[in-house]
Amino acid sequence: MRTLDEVLKNNINGLYYGNRIILPFRAEILKAIIEKDIITDFSTTHKGAQYNITDKYTEIYFLEYKELAEEVSKYETIKLVVVEEGKDLFDFGNHRRLILHLKEKHYLKIEEANGEILFVE
Amino acid sequence: MKKILFFALLIIFLSSFAEKGVYAFQNGEGVQTENQLSENASLTSVPPVFMVGPFVLLLAMIATGPLFYARFWGKHYYKVAIALGLVVVFYYWFVMKDTGHLVHTLGEYISFIMLLGSLFVASGGILIRVDRKATPLVNAAMLLVGAVLANVFGTTGASMLLIRPFMNLNKKRLKPYHIIFFIFVVSNVGGVLTPIGDPPLFLGFLLGVPFFWFFAHSWFIWLIAVAIILAVFFFVDRNNKEGESDDAEYSGKIEFKGFKNLVYLAIILGSVLLDPNVMSWVPSLSPLPFGIREILMAVIMVVAYKTADSKILEYNEFTFDPIKEVAFLFIGIFATMIPALQLVAYQAGVMKDSLTTGIFYWASGGLSSILDNAPTFVTFLSGAMGRTGLDMNSKIQVQQFVASSPVYLQSISVACVFFGANTYIGNGPNFMVKSIAESSGLKMPSFFGYIVKYSLPVLIPVFFFIWFVFFRG
Repeated sequence: MRTLDEVLKNNINGLYYGNRIILPFRAEILKAIIEKDIITDFSTTHKGAQYNITDKYTEIYFLEYKELAEEVSKYETIKLVVVEEGKDLFDFGNHRRLILHLKEKHYLKIEEANGEILFVE
Repeated sequence: MKKILFFALLIIFLSSFAEKGVYAFQNGEGVQTENQLSENASLTSVPPVFMVGPFVLLLAMIATGPLFYARFWGKHYYKVAIALGLVVVFYYWFVMKDTGHLVHTLGEYISFIMLLGSLFVASGGILIRVDRKATPLVNAAMLLVGAVLANVFGTTGASMLLIRPFMNLNKKRLKPYHIIFFIFVVSNVGGVLTPIGDPPLFLGFLLGVPFFWFFAHSWFIWLIAVAIILAVFFFVDRNNKEGESDDAEYSGKIEFKGFKNLVYLAIILGSVLLDPNVMSWVPSLSPLPFGIREILMAVIMVVAYKTADSKILEYNEFTFDPIKEVAFLFIGIFATMIPALQLVAYQAGVMKDSLTTGIFYWASGGLSSILDNAPTFVTFLSGAMGRTGLDMNSKIQVQQFVASSPVYLQSISVACVFFGANTYIGNGPNFMVKSIAESSGLKMPSFFGYIVKYSLPVLIPVFFFIWFVFFRG
């Protein structure tokens, strides 16, 4: 299982298919921003988004979207606030802000927010 | 794809009016026909009151959609806007047999969306980064700069140019009120000094009001309004303690990239004057509902997008979504507001003797809060001139009116520009600024939240003060 730091350091890509993104690390998702939607409710009773943490990856389904590639345009990004599994969720220092770029052939480029792109937490 | 097809079909459908239309919108007679519309409204073809229904319904849905049925609204808002617009189009076309208003409105819509779209795309290729610590004073100064620039680039251009730098400056302490005061100052109130600032003033310029008249007669009102709003902002911002412990080092530099887009912006702004009413050598494309100006803006829009630096577009997270949303919602607003404006013009004609500057101020302002402020301005100007028997057809009579009753024009122009800040739909850039803030992760207040928490407590007292000092009577 890869850590988030390994993923960022080695530029390991995630994947996306339809409305599903697959992140190559395990993490709790606190917030997702896609288009104008700011999603913080990941419960099964809400139809915004759901995520699952498996042994080797974390997957998020954006339930309001059919095809992410069609709705997130070339220069737009998906933004996530995550806490890597095993880290203390209540320590704000562990909250990582990630920016996801949808690239060709289902590749999902993952980078940490560095102030270049506006990301209001 | 479906949306684009639907939209294209609608444009083709509406454009078919252009060949049959009785008005020559771009043939140098646009100003006259505007008045004819008002006169027609007051004399003959007044629509029934129930035809305001689609407009009221659209406004109600814009207000309640994102609150109570966000999923439906997010997916279907464009269908709702176009369907309600079509109700009015069909009524005017088949029942009232009045294609003139439709062609005229289509022309106004195309001008509106081309200006907004081209400014949006051209400014999207510009990067401004202010490397300073955000303080209430720095923020207020930036808003003040925006208020001045609104008169050079228009409220739309200035908003698109400055909203991201303003948000970036405050990224460690950004709250919805930052965005809302930005909308107040830069997207609306700031742009009252020149005809470039806001479309109603530009229409006034086309009608014959001298270019610098607005500056000469409104600068002190602008100063008072901007000063009060910035003072309120300063005190609100001073209580925001977030980011105070920020010990990062700042160079104080302002980074600017995308100079060629400044040239594009200059061309767009210059092209605003390319109107047969302003420059007689400009060819008319009548009976088409657009002119050389709109074509040039469309070309600049394409060129600006194709030649933009992709890194800047990435930084700005450029997307056509905000302008698409404005384009769809406003096609519905433009179409459904035709009967509302006609009825207002009719009522102004009936009540002309009892209309004071105060009534013009509150009525034109109140309607500009929810209607497009450009036709509202023309309607009320026509009403004000009609009081003294002057005809808006004649530039000489407009100038005579400007000289003899400046306070009426002053009250209408100030109200039409200022009151646009009252709601998200009061002025084109309001919605776009809101969309940009939301796509960065900032949760913005609802339609009613904006009015109740910000417009009523901040703007209305300012507008009341301006009325009390300048337009009471």
